[in-house]
Amino acid sequence: MDVLPKRGGGQRRAAVMPPRSFTRALIPLVVLAAPEVQGDALNPDVSVTLDGYYKQEDTALSHRDKGFGLGHTELTLSAPIDDLFSGRLTTVYEEHEGESEVQVEEAYLQTNGLPASLSVRAGRFLSQVGYLNGRHLHEDDFVERPAAYRALLGSHYYDDGVRLNALLPTPFFWQVGAEVFSGASLSEGDEELGVFTLNTRVGGDLSVSQSWQLGLSYLRNRNAGVVEEDHDEEGEEHEHSHAASYTGRNLYIADAVWKWAPNGNAREQQLTLSGEYLYADDLNRYATSDDTHEGWYLSGVYRFAPQWSAGLRYGEVDLRQAHDDHFHDQSLDETEVMLAWSHSHFSTLRLQYTHQDGNGFDNADDTVTVQYVMSLGAHGAHGF
Amino acid sequence: MALLAGLLAQPARAEFHVFACEPEWAALVRAWLPEADITTATHYLQDPHYIEARPSLIAKLRRADLAVCTGASLEAGWLPTLLQRAANPAIQVGRPGLFLAAEQVELRDAHRPVDRSMGDVHPEGNPHVHLAPDRLPRIAEALMERLRQLRPDLSSQLFVRYLRWRGAWNQQREVWRQAAERLRGHSVVVQHGSFRYLLDWLGVEAVLDLEPKPGLPPSAAHLQQLLAAPELGPADAILVASHQDPRPAQWLSEQTGKPVRVLPGTVTDDAATDTLAELISTIVAALLDPSGEGAVDQP
Repeated sequence: MDVLPKRGGGQRRAAVMPPRSFTRALIPLVVLAAPEVQGDALNPDVSVTLDGYYKQEDTALSHRDKGFGLGHTELTLSAPIDDLFSGRLTTVYEEHEGESEVQVEEAYLQTNGLPASLSVRAGRFLSQVGYLNGRHLHEDDFVERPAAYRALLGSHYYDDGVRLNALLPTPFFWQVGAEVFSGASLSEGDEELGVFTLNTRVGGDLSVSQSWQLGLSYLRNRNAGVVEEDHDEEGEEHEHSHAASYTGRNLYIADAVWKWAPNGNAREQQLTLSGEYLYADDLNRYATSDDTHEGWYLSGVYRFAPQWSAGLRYGEVDLRQAHDDHFHDQSLDETEVMLAWSHSHFSTLRLQYTHQDGNGFDNADDTVTVQYVMSLGAHGAHGF
Repeated sequence: MALLAGLLAQPARAEFHVFACEPEWAALVRAWLPEADITTATHYLQDPHYIEARPSLIAKLRRADLAVCTGASLEAGWLPTLLQRAANPAIQVGRPGLFLAAEQVELRDAHRPVDRSMGDVHPEGNPHVHLAPDRLPRIAEALMERLRQLRPDLSSQLFVRYLRWRGAWNQQREVWRQAAERLRGHSVVVQHGSFRYLLDWLGVEAVLDLEPKPGLPPSAAHLQQLLAAPELGPADAILVASHQDPRPAQWLSEQTGKPVRVLPGTVTDDAATDTLAELISTIVAALLDPSGEGAVDQP
């Protein structure tokens, strides 16, 4: 086929690029790989997610500014590396307060089939704490993550580190896992191994139509609550931070999800109920046992026809904002209603109304958001 | 610690665990290795393109000695997640424990230039290959060889059972061939390419598709277009699979008086259609009697 020489050319070009300009090197790869989106033995799968929106008002704890904007625009390359490893690279283009940034959100290797149902992931990747955190943002049913996630995990916590997971030899699904991270993308601090997490998940089917999963997670943040010196917030070198705005040395998350589809045929209809509870304590050395962050949400999404889904989510977060040796109370209640239309499996248009009740937030507001999420190229498999 | 080691140790070959992505492959394995512990990930009321990578499936795949799937991107939305999460070395891509049926034969519509404006088409070709009377024996033979490779202790039994199955298949195929003589030149309206291989083999033309593009649900505008299509007139029936929403077909039926036949796209638990040969016979019977006066359809 005539694409063969092109494909080889694309790889040579990528190989000689200096590492710093690799994001630029990816662009010709996308163009050249486009005729063969599924990838083959030598070519990684390429996928692009386009995420754009119009938002009427600014809202509290939001990562999306009002007006027209680009959300989480992703370029992903993934492929088996050999028979033991596979790899994935995800770069994200985002705009915040008028500044454009390109971030490497995932760059990891994953083992395939170690003995004893063990698996290892190493590099930069999304932590598996909670239900939503390990998922890609483009899989979400609402424009933004719940307020508790935005406050306590920076929407989605990813970092450099290692994960070890094991599936226990039980007749039902039971997974245990641990991760160690640098912690730098959650809190700045002196500890080089700043974060470790423990996670366990169980799940199964209640009937052919219903399935469920429960998870418990613990995240230890050794750098949390280091009382900041008077650092120059206004300084030019201060980049937009994806770090969580509110941290504690201990973060506990409980999550539950239940899905229903008639006869288990998720193609025609599906109801998904999910909820999480997050609790953080030991905020800093001035914190008493009453100084804790707490948040939860409940979400229901009903896909009532193959192309249409409607959802309702309510969430609360109660926070303690550190001010030197004392804390100020902050809280935010958020109700979101959304309607989404997916013409095909690869395109989604979403209309969402968000209502916020804030205490201690000056930008809590109600807003309407219109969003598109489009997927180009290889379409990765989704988790439960 | 000893308890943990005991738990982690794989049970000695007492049982041979097979994970079948679709019921048709479970039916084949059951025909030759009935003593195996067979899990079927989907059933005939589910669209195999859209399956959740559920926790229960991860647990089942974890202990599988053999996974039998269609491949050709049919399971692209869920099988890669299951394989990765199950972390079972026996069934990773490229190992003998993962058998992909579509890789054993040439597929229809393969290697044509595709892009997504054409719908959710599979670059590898139409994956619904289990209803192909001529291709299936080649898949079956390869699957039997794979089973013999994994269970050398049962090698001769497997071969004998396969030969018996193959003989029965060839006999059935003669019956279908006679039906094909009567069906040649007939045409039907379909929804998606689920029955495409069988219709081709029978010489029945799928003249119209309720899906505007592969993978897109039927739209009102598209149905209106179909109503005006000249090919609709001679079509015998509207053929939809059990897992599909029958309403678009029923609407078209009300407008045109064409009978709707709802048929399982794969083998079922019902005794009348629990093997591939019975399923094909059922579909052939429905095509021979499109108004369905002599038969009772599956729900």
